[in-house]
Amino acid sequence: MGRKTGFLISKILELLATLILVSLLTFVAFSVIPGDTAQVILGPDASQAQLDALRAELGLDKPLIVQYLNWLIGLFTFNLGKSAAFGVPVSGLIAERLPVTIGMSIIALIFVIGISYPLSILSARRPGKILDQVFSVLGHVLFAIPPFVLSLLSIIAATALFSGFRAGQYYRPEDDFAGFVGCLMLPSFCIALPKIAMTFKYMRSSIIEQSSSEYVKNAKGHGLTDFRIMVKHILPNSNVSAITVISIVLSDILAGSLIVEQVFNLPGLGRLLLAGIARRDFPLLSGMVFYIAFITVLLYFAADILGSIADPRIRLK
Amino acid sequence: MRSFSKIITASVLIASMAFGLASCKSGSTSSGSVTVGITQEPGTFDPFTVVAAGDQEIIFNIYEGLLKYDSKGNLNPCLAKDYEISDSADVYTFTVRDGVKFQNGQELTPNDVVYSLQKAAGLLPDSDGKALVSAFAKVKTVELTKDDPSKVRVTLKEPDSELLSFFTCAIVPAEYDTSSKDPCGTGPFKFENYSISQNVTLSANKDYWGGAPAIDKVVFKICADMDAGLLELQSGTIDIFPHLTKDRADQLSADAYNILDNSSNMVQIFALNNKVEELSNPKVREAINYAIDRSDIIKVTMDGAGVALYAPMSPAMGKWYDSSLDGKYSKDIDKAKSLLAEAGYPDGFDLKVTVPSSYLVHVNTAVELASELSAVGIKLKIEQIDWATWLDEVYSKRNYESTVICLTSDYAPYDVIQRYASDSKDNFINYSNKEVDELIKKLPLTPGEDEKLTIYHQILNIMAEDNASCYIQDPQEMVAVSTKLEGYNVYPMYIQDMYTVKFKTA
Amino acid sequence: MKTASSRIFFITGYILIGIIFALFIVSIFWTPYDPNMTNPAIKLTPPCAEHLFGTDNFGRDTLSRVMYASKYTIFISFAGIAIALALGLVTGIPAGYYGGWTDRGIMLLSNSIMCFPGILLALVAVAVAGPSMYNVVWALGLVFAPTFARVCRIGTMELKQRDYITHAKVMGISSPRIMAVHILPNLTASLLPATVIGLANMTLFESGMSYLGLGVQPPDASFGKLLADAQSYMTRAPWLVIFPSLMLIIYILGLYFVSEGIRIKSSKGGN
Repeated sequence: MGRKTGFLISKILELLATLILVSLLTFVAFSVIPGDTAQVILGPDASQAQLDALRAELGLDKPLIVQYLNWLIGLFTFNLGKSAAFGVPVSGLIAERLPVTIGMSIIALIFVIGISYPLSILSARRPGKILDQVFSVLGHVLFAIPPFVLSLLSIIAATALFSGFRAGQYYRPEDDFAGFVGCLMLPSFCIALPKIAMTFKYMRSSIIEQSSSEYVKNAKGHGLTDFRIMVKHILPNSNVSAITVISIVLSDILAGSLIVEQVFNLPGLGRLLLAGIARRDFPLLSGMVFYIAFITVLLYFAADILGSIADPRIRLK
Repeated sequence: MRSFSKIITASVLIASMAFGLASCKSGSTSSGSVTVGITQEPGTFDPFTVVAAGDQEIIFNIYEGLLKYDSKGNLNPCLAKDYEISDSADVYTFTVRDGVKFQNGQELTPNDVVYSLQKAAGLLPDSDGKALVSAFAKVKTVELTKDDPSKVRVTLKEPDSELLSFFTCAIVPAEYDTSSKDPCGTGPFKFENYSISQNVTLSANKDYWGGAPAIDKVVFKICADMDAGLLELQSGTIDIFPHLTKDRADQLSADAYNILDNSSNMVQIFALNNKVEELSNPKVREAINYAIDRSDIIKVTMDGAGVALYAPMSPAMGKWYDSSLDGKYSKDIDKAKSLLAEAGYPDGFDLKVTVPSSYLVHVNTAVELASELSAVGIKLKIEQIDWATWLDEVYSKRNYESTVICLTSDYAPYDVIQRYASDSKDNFINYSNKEVDELIKKLPLTPGEDEKLTIYHQILNIMAEDNASCYIQDPQEMVAVSTKLEGYNVYPMYIQDMYTVKFKTA
Repeated sequence: MKTASSRIFFITGYILIGIIFALFIVSIFWTPYDPNMTNPAIKLTPPCAEHLFGTDNFGRDTLSRVMYASKYTIFISFAGIAIALALGLVTGIPAGYYGGWTDRGIMLLSNSIMCFPGILLALVAVAVAGPSMYNVVWALGLVFAPTFARVCRIGTMELKQRDYITHAKVMGISSPRIMAVHILPNLTASLLPATVIGLANMTLFESGMSYLGLGVQPPDASFGKLLADAQSYMTRAPWLVIFPSLMLIIYILGLYFVSEGIRIKSSKGGN
């Protein structure tokens, strides 16, 4: 037990150190960027006095270290001040865009698990046979298609095939939840496809490895059905790779959705990020960059911890 | 094994169902309510601090001024029954209309007019002395005339006959807090409510002095962008969408929407910095004007929806526009080459064009210009910068060789022209001509419209003679209006007038 | 079995990459039309005999544009990898060689860079520096550097244990010299697969960034930039999307196949 807590504590300390470094990197990066937020807001006609007043209002006149601490406090109280470009609180803007990004991540993850697991089981049952070969080649090809290219091609295909299809249709979840889920389906699938290929590859080799192990042979000797062996023995033992894969997949999905949103014209974090970049909205950008990195770090952390709980051997290393 | 195949079938099924879910929605508009799509989050409803064009479009329906534009761009009396300008152009007198009520039921009095104009001019005791309407910085006093209390007299510090258009400035009840969330004017529509990122709702002002509007309710629905607006149009959830590009408007069914052209009253300019060595030579600027094909640029950037320009004023400005300059340059490569040779650049030269990266139209224009100018040996190098840097480096510091941008202005010819005075801070092309400077100075002192017109046309012709810069087009916007509606008027400025809109009777 | 399948991957991979390189090499000497010459009269012409891949909204020949774009796509992926590799070498080898605080410092920095999703970091870096081809190269080089630093570090830690390194140390050869002469050349085998897969990922990132308008700037073009330009004409002129997409997929797929071939071959060697 002591060993376990010690392990956890050291992991958590590592996590905190990483987060502080990440926040510092983010802040420093945005402090050295040329471009004056006050000038952006006020336009070319602004007088020096107006600029100074606005800088004071935005806290841009304070020393960097004070700005950093204020920002850090803001990060954890969800109070990042007002967006320079939109004039409303940054946290509100982010919250408003979250449903799309989270929705897409969840749906994409469901696609990944729902498709790659059955396929990899099917494939691994008879390695080297036609089905396995077809899936493997298909996997390699799909892995090479960038999600946004897939999105563009699928929009062209869908427009040609279904007369009623319109890319970029969006429903707010509070207005029409089914419509909301519906309009996220195709984009989520496009993000998921390369990840399905990737997860398939990992799962397949993991299952093949497990299937040839002694205990599976034993179980077969005891007359257990294939299905039972798969569910009770093989899948639980491949969990290590599955959990790791899924957390990596999830962070990739998050990053991938940034571009795919643009193709499908969905109001998610990616669009907000680009709007922020175009308008040099530093309060917005720094907040978003940190939160996205924060989630990524947490995902890796979770994978690390869960992975080591599932497989004690990792912990001992 | 069978169960695994089932899972696969199921997931494939889910996927295909999902894609089938594309769209099967229909929107309906209850009779009497009109939905207008807008793409900007409203910033403010305070008529004195409003800057965003999108806000002005909404506010036009709520507030009125002493004067009001019509859809032809003419200024007509509104809350003023009539007005006169003294010959010396320094005293404006307005007769306030009787029987007008504010939306809160209060009667409009000349005192409200005095208060509102004083507020706009920064003359109220509690103001910081800064005019909220910057042109009103010239206003010395606003008061009731002694002999007739229904008349309001505005006295200027110096003569200025160019001030009239600013009296469209909103009139509000005296001491009314306009920055509050509850706007109150005399316009045909009352403010109902604003929900962030969703919509702004206005309802008919039944007591409107000009008669109640035909529709009960106007909803300005906020769409994320033009494409989102297009989708709403296609699914019928909005009735009017004012700012569409041609290629998007073309996607709408003619049964459901009428498409109206809307001159945006913008001037797209290929701005040639007159202080750059090569471009300081008028012959070079003339050569550039002959080397380009405006209709090709319009075709590429606007799908053909643009009006070619040869001078700094758009035809949207009505009579102030000088149509005699139409077609001044037509593409002539040989002429351009010989002009360049005369100027000492027979082989052309390298030129940098700095464009704001966020404006696709300007970037595309630069790409097309680069291709066209290469025919006369001018090698255009495109440099893209972000908007903030553009404003700073190009517009304020004038640290550039050439750029492509749209110039916007108030609907006032003086606002269009004043930037070409040598000492204007807006003269970012560094144009300088003494004669033009003199004429621009003369304008505010000239009371008569006809005399003004002569001066404006004189200036436009001198600038054309000088080839001050290269003017390209007034890009057109398309307005989609539901075929269920009639009476919608396109204004040459940022106005969505809902008063004249009504449902067709079957 | 394994040799056979690794050979198939190599052959297919080389053929696919070869197609793109052929486009690039031919484009240096010849393209059907000037890739930047506009001709609005024939804008958005579908594929036909004169214009095999059709024309874009400026009336430019898409085949010529695609050929022209191959140059930039190839250049950026290779230049970016070169920078990532160089950065990875100068940080990863000392980290592995010296260990201790040098190692901890360098690894902490590289780990925290890896905390940011790569595309996000690259986007923000380009937003900082302003979009241009060279900034994309630098940004991607920076984003990919930690991966190479890791590979170098682990490789160096292993090599350090070898007798000949200990021997060299005893002989009094300076540390920088040991790292440059004895360690660096022996890292090639472990760096090769990372480099090939890095090229593929770099192309993926670059195309995404160019698609968002934060990569290659006109009149330059890459496959991603061509797709960005095609966005508004997607349904009217699908050929503007299809051909550049195809080229992009061919290039990335080729690189993946080669890396898969290397992986299979080395796993066989390991057995």
